[in-house]
Amino acid sequence: MKSPVKEKLMFRLIKLEWTKFRKNTVIQLLILFFFLFFPACLYFGTLIPELPSFLPSKESFFQFPDIWDYLGYAGNWIAFFFIGVASVYLLTIEVSNKTMRQSIINGLTRNEFFLSKLLSIIIISAIASAFYAVLGLIIGLIHTEGFDLVAAFDNDWAIARFFLMCLSYTSFALMLAYIFRKSGLAVFFYISYVIIIEPLLRYFIIERVEEASFTRYFPMNACEDLMPLPVMRYANAIPDNIDFAFLLEYKEAVTATIIYLALFISLSYFLFKKRDI
Amino acid sequence: MPNLFKMPVLQIDNLSKNYGRLKALNKLSLTVEKGQIMGILGPNGSGKTTTLGIILGILKASGGDYSWFDGTMGHNYRLNIGSILETPNFYPYLDADDNLEIVRQIKKVDDRNFDDLLDLVKLSGRRKSKFKTYSLGMKQRLAIAATMIGDPDVVIFDEPTNGLDPQGISEVRNTLTEIASRGKTVIMASHILAEVEKICSHVAIIKNGKLLATGPVGSILSSDIFLELKSDDTDKLMGFLRSNQSIKKIELKDGVIECTASENLNPAELNASAFSHGIQLSHLVSRKRKLEEEFLEITR
Repeated sequence: MKSPVKEKLMFRLIKLEWTKFRKNTVIQLLILFFFLFFPACLYFGTLIPELPSFLPSKESFFQFPDIWDYLGYAGNWIAFFFIGVASVYLLTIEVSNKTMRQSIINGLTRNEFFLSKLLSIIIISAIASAFYAVLGLIIGLIHTEGFDLVAAFDNDWAIARFFLMCLSYTSFALMLAYIFRKSGLAVFFYISYVIIIEPLLRYFIIERVEEASFTRYFPMNACEDLMPLPVMRYANAIPDNIDFAFLLEYKEAVTATIIYLALFISLSYFLFKKRDI
Repeated sequence: MPNLFKMPVLQIDNLSKNYGRLKALNKLSLTVEKGQIMGILGPNGSGKTTTLGIILGILKASGGDYSWFDGTMGHNYRLNIGSILETPNFYPYLDADDNLEIVRQIKKVDDRNFDDLLDLVKLSGRRKSKFKTYSLGMKQRLAIAATMIGDPDVVIFDEPTNGLDPQGISEVRNTLTEIASRGKTVIMASHILAEVEKICSHVAIIKNGKLLATGPVGSILSSDIFLELKSDDTDKLMGFLRSNQSIKKIELKDGVIECTASENLNPAELNASAFSHGIQLSHLVSRKRKLEEEFLEITR
């Protein structure tokens, strides 16, 4: 006899995604690599030659509060790649196996399916941020003399910024997956947009347009500025032919990213609701 | 009080679907009642899968309307329908149990025991193998098992025997007949007549996105007799046949006369009568028209 399982919708969808992906090798590997490469980046930090004298010593990168900036910047790249690609894959594998179609046929509503993917990227971003927090805390505690929890977390909301950054990458990646529907195409566009297309676009605009500081608000640049290369803060002081600061202030970056986030998610939703599956 | 036994399970009203300028479906209307085993019959590309895609909510109709269960289930109607569309769609890296578990969660069904279902489709021995290691027949059978989760009132199969070997076809057909005998409403799309004829109680014939005929299989299957005759004097034979009241249609093809006659015509009497008119038949074949020819006739 039928007796519908009564569970909270969110919990039901998370459980469903877990059942779908817990045994998926690609997702397992991407997440494993994230967990391995993230701390491994620190090792490369120790290989940096002596820094110019006007910069702080590299030892400070492993101490509070600079550890948050340094680790965050390393995580910026790692999250962009591994978590972003995982987010594309979460959707495109369901398209290529036609299981998205079957999920709807079996009775999931389009809204429920969309929500399940959204919950997935939120959870992945939250786990990545928790890992960032734990890693930063452990490394900082090892390298900083004296134990001061207040000083340890005096980091300009670094963990929240990291989370927002992850969410921005993942929702951008998921949007591309909704647009292109094919893993190869979506991953290719995702990676080339972030590291080639947008920087090139900005470069050409900065070359030609006088008042070009608005290019800092481009979506992926705003996202990157949530967790910038720490020394770039000092680069702002270096005179150059570009008469604006390289980086967005945190507040500006956060505001821009939240707006883009809303844009990515609504565009994905609009596309998903409108198209045939 | 509504008649529960005549309740329309599915009502399709003037459904249309355009892909650019191509009209995949052109104002198709169809009603499926409770307990019917409805075969949707049509050549490849006639709009069968498009129709099923729309009524299952994955394709957007360009026009028209449809309603399930008289609208009594709202947006949840799919929870009461088990369905396969085109191919069996599962997670290739998961085994049968995990794949069925996903369907169970979506269908909000409590019962986690899939033993009976896997027995029904004879997959119990391979339940712990990954889906990607299955043969096409096994994949199709797993899909059939999945449609039965939660014991839905309606099951939909789209070309259930497509691409299977004779052994697989016979296994799938037996399973379908077994399912149909449980009193469910079954909708089955197929381009194979024999399949519809064997399994279905009703048939809807579709071509170029249009409904050509619908009704019980017996009524679509006409009772006419089909005759082939040959004689040395073809003209005389033609004249003789035209004078016979029971013969409806006469055609000459490569020296053989083909005609359709109503079922009260007796071929032996016809032969004797021809002989008495001085016509000697060198060839006489009579057979009841099969659905196959009817189908070709209708879809021509």
